[in-house]
Parts: sequence; structure tokens; C-alpha cells
Amino acid sequence: MLGSLYRLSKLVQQFVGLMGSKVIRSIFGGVRLWAFLRGCHKNGGRQAQPPAQLFHLSVLLTQFQEMEYVSPEGLRLDGRRPMEMRQIRAEIGVVAKADGSALFEMGNTKVIAAVYGPREVQNRSQQLNDSALVRCEYTMANFSTGDRMRKPKGDRRSTEISLVIRQTMEACIMTHLMPRSQIDIFVQVLQADGGTRSACINAASLALADAGIPMRDLVTSCSAGYLNSTPLLDLNYIEDSAGGADVTLGIMPKLDKVTLLQMDAKLSVETFENVMQLAIEGCKAVATYIREVLLENTKQLEYRRGI
Amino acid sequence: MVGLSIGEKHFIQGGIAQDLRSDGRKRLTTRPIYVETGVISQANGSARVRMGATDVIASVKAELGRPNALQPDKGKVVVNVDCSPTAAPMFEGRGGEELSAELSVALQCCLLGGKSGSGAGIDLSSLVVVEGKICWDLYIDGLVVSSDGNLLDALGAAIKAALSNTGIPKVNVAAGASGDEQPEVDVSDEEFLQFDTSRVPVIVTLTKVGRHYIVDATSEEESQMSSAVSISINRQGHICGLTKRGGAGLDPSIILDMISVAKTVSEQLINTLDSHIAAAEAGEEES
Repeated sequence: MLGSLYRLSKLVQQFVGLMGSKVIRSIFGGVRLWAFLRGCHKNGGRQAQPPAQLFHLSVLLTQFQEMEYVSPEGLRLDGRRPMEMRQIRAEIGVVAKADGSALFEMGNTKVIAAVYGPREVQNRSQQLNDSALVRCEYTMANFSTGDRMRKPKGDRRSTEISLVIRQTMEACIMTHLMPRSQIDIFVQVLQADGGTRSACINAASLALADAGIPMRDLVTSCSAGYLNSTPLLDLNYIEDSAGGADVTLGIMPKLDKVTLLQMDAKLSVETFENVMQLAIEGCKAVATYIREVLLENTKQLEYRRGI
Repeated sequence: MVGLSIGEKHFIQGGIAQDLRSDGRKRLTTRPIYVETGVISQANGSARVRMGATDVIASVKAELGRPNALQPDKGKVVVNVDCSPTAAPMFEGRGGEELSAELSVALQCCLLGGKSGSGAGIDLSSLVVVEGKICWDLYIDGLVVSSDGNLLDALGAAIKAALSNTGIPKVNVAAGASGDEQPEVDVSDEEFLQFDTSRVPVIVTLTKVGRHYIVDATSEEESQMSSAVSISINRQGHICGLTKRGGAGLDPSIILDMISVAKTVSEQLINTLDSHIAAAEAGEEES
């Protein structure tokens, strides 16, 4: 009798201890969120909020009520309209030693891509006699997410994204022109706030162009989703983890061909058409911007060579 | 790593012997340094430092944790460096791990002193919130984005800049917790404590090529080195840590000579770095 009472009291103690730490953690989450919101406000209130803490909060909120992702006024959590993209920015030649490199930002998502090659195949057994070998590796920096990542390398998600990027880029590179050679694409995520896949593909596209690798067309990518019965363009992390559908699309804008299409969750066929159309518009907008950046870069090069 | 012909090797070695290196610098001249702070918005502090083609990012994240039972009056600092494959294809997969570990350990001993935390560039006791119960854990993450030699110095500079960019939220502890209980805390979102980074050392690496040694070596020059000594020195001119790399042995008198040279070089480096950090912080506040 006494023994069981003792055990019970131990259990209660443990439980209380557990709850205590949870409460503390949720308080931290909230506080950090405020800090971020303040920071975002300073940046003009336009940028999306950093992920993890908000995510905790959104999970907390959804437990009590249905989260509102689009306000009655038609504004999203970060102040965008449903069909508005985050601010995009691209820079070419950020890694001096690489053959081609680019930095691509979509709101708070920030990635760097570097291209090495075409060069001799490192591993002879992988050599292809009729086309170039395209390889890709996706890595996330420890500090890229809201909570610090501990094991960033070689997990399932990054392997999958590496594969997706490789296949997407392979579709546009004219590999038959470079047999028995290898092209390496490395993408490094510096900040992750939803849409890393799209940002990586856009960055890789720019880096490949910078490296002067023959391509059929530029591949550009953008995501779109469906929340609160509204199609939304370019989801950020909170919207992405809201559980609605997320369509990631990659197109070759000039050839008007889709090279990447991924979707999770379910959508009716009619809605899917709308969402995909929105994503296509997004991709085209990205393509226009990328073309501008490339053109500007080429002009600079021309100027430096004195042509 | 770097494929050089015999001619190129002779050119580099000969240049160093004549005090005119292949990029026009003298033996003890550093490359111009560029500092940018606040590059990672979700970190407590961050900085990007570029020296020539070397490009590194450092970020500082603070999390509340429990202090070590053996040192209840000290916070914890963990330094971790990753080499991104974007810097060189050889860092792909697990390829960068060896170098990452080497850099992490070197930085740890240059910035944090010994195991007891004595002689640390960062005042560990300032990280304690409630003695024995709550302290800040600082996670310092370095990322090598592009590599052209002298990574350790660049990382050291980036960490110093990131630390001076770091704001640690003020913590209010609820009174009344006693005994083994973990006290309730309230993290302020308004007030941030700035770090005192005046004691954080800078790292100067002297690379020995032939009979001479050089500062801020490029990767071509590093491929010709016989050994390298990394010395971390603070503003007061105290040596905070020292590591030697490379295969060849060094004469003890040369090491002492190197230390005195590193001291003069570090003075210039600290001054330029401080002015760059101040400029970067001012620029960040404006925008």
C-alpha cells in the first residue's frame, strides 16, 4: 500500500516537472515570436516571419480554433495579398571559386547555389558515354531554421530534395553536348522559411547560366497552395505547415513545359487547376526577374571586357 | 586540393622569399576584409566576413539551458563549423567533416580557453541567469561558403563580429522558487543585453612557406606550406590560444618569433575589424 502510494507521488512529481518545462518553453516561443514580429515590423512589415517559433504558436492556436490564414480584408499573415509573391532578389557570382554561383532570396528564404563543371568525372564507374553526369547536393545550414538543427547532413528530406533538383535541372541541361563529363550543383540553404525547393531550383538555374552550361531554357519554380478556400501564391513556412495543399511547380517558361510538379494533401480537380495556374503565373514572374538579373550581369561582363 | 605545376610552385615560393606574393601583397599584409552583420534574421547575432575569395558566415543562437553540475556559475558555449559543398566539391557528403572538426576544435580552444573556461575570450559567468539552474547556452555556428585559404582567421573574425551583433534577451526570474524546483522565467522581448566583445580575441595564422612565414595565405599558398601556427590574441596583447598545424617541425625560437609578429599583425587586424564592425552595425541600423 505504502509502496504504491510512493510510486504514485513520484509519477505526479514527474508529470508536474514535465508540464513545467512545457509551459516555460511555450512562453519562450511566444516571447521570441514577439521579438520577431517587432523585427519584421522594422523591416517594413512586408517580410514573412521566421519559422519554428511561429509554427509552435500556430500549432497551439489550431488546437483551440481554426487558424485564419487569410483575413476578411483579404490579407495574409505577413501582409501579402493571396496572389502576391514575396520579394525576390538574386545575385550572381557569390562564390568566387565556383564555375558558376548565385544567391536567391524569396522573402526570408535565402539559398546559395554553386556549380562546378563540366569537368572530368570523379568516379569513373559513374561515367556516362553519351551524356553528362549531373549531380546535386542540398544542404541546410545549422542556423537556417528557427530552432537550431543538430543533424543537418544526409537526412531523408535533403536526399529527396537533392534528387528533385537534379531531375529538374537535368531536364533543361543539354547533357548530350558534354559526354563523359560531370556537372555538380551544390545548394546551401542559409535561411529556410518555406519554398526552399523553389528557391533552390531558381538559384541552381541562375548558377548554371552563370557557369555557361548549355541549357534548353531556364527552369524557374514557385509554389502555390490552397487555404481558407483561397488559392495562395508562394507559401511561407507557417502557411506551408498549415496542412493545406502545397503545389510546387517548375516550368521552362519559353518552351512552356512543366519539369517539376509536386503536391501534397488533396484538392478537387477544379481547384487544382486554379492553384496550378497561379503557380505558373508565379514561375513566369520569377522567370522575368531572373532574365533581368542575367541580362544585367551580362551587361556588366561586357562592360568589364570593354566591348 | 589545388593542382599546381612545378613552375607555379616555384613562382609562389620565390615570391614569398622576395617579399612579393603572387597577388602583389607583402609577406605580412592581409587581404582587405569586408564585414556584414545581421545577415541571418532568425539568429540572435550573425555576421558574414569576406577576405578575398574566402567567404564565411557565423551565427550565434542563445537558448536557455541548465549549467553543468561541475561549473554551476558558468554558461555554455559550443562552437561548430560546417564546410558547405559550395566552397569546394570535395566537401560533398561527409567530405568536409574532417576539416570542419579541425576548425571547430581550433576555434574552441582559441576562443574558449581550457575545459574549466578560464582564460576564455567570452565571459562565461555573464551567461548565468540563476546559478546552478538556468544559463544561456550559446551556439556559435560557422559556415564556410567559399574557401580561399585562411579559414580560421576569417571564422574567428566572423565570430567576433557576430558576437558584437548579438543581443541576448534580458531574463526576469520569478521569485519564490526554492530547492530543486526549476524557477519560472520571463524572457524580455524589449531589452537585450549587448555582449562585451572587447575581450574576444582575433586569430592570426602564420603560414610557413620555405624559410619565411606569411599572414592570410590563399589556398595556393597554403598548398605549399610546411606548417602553420594559429595564434589568438586579444586587445590587451595576451595570447588566448595557440594551435600548430602541418607536418613539419618548427624551431622553438621561430615560434617565439612568430608570436611577436602575430602580436603586431593582430593589433592592426583588431583595429580594422572593430572599425568595420562598427560601420556594419551603423549601416544595418540605418536600413
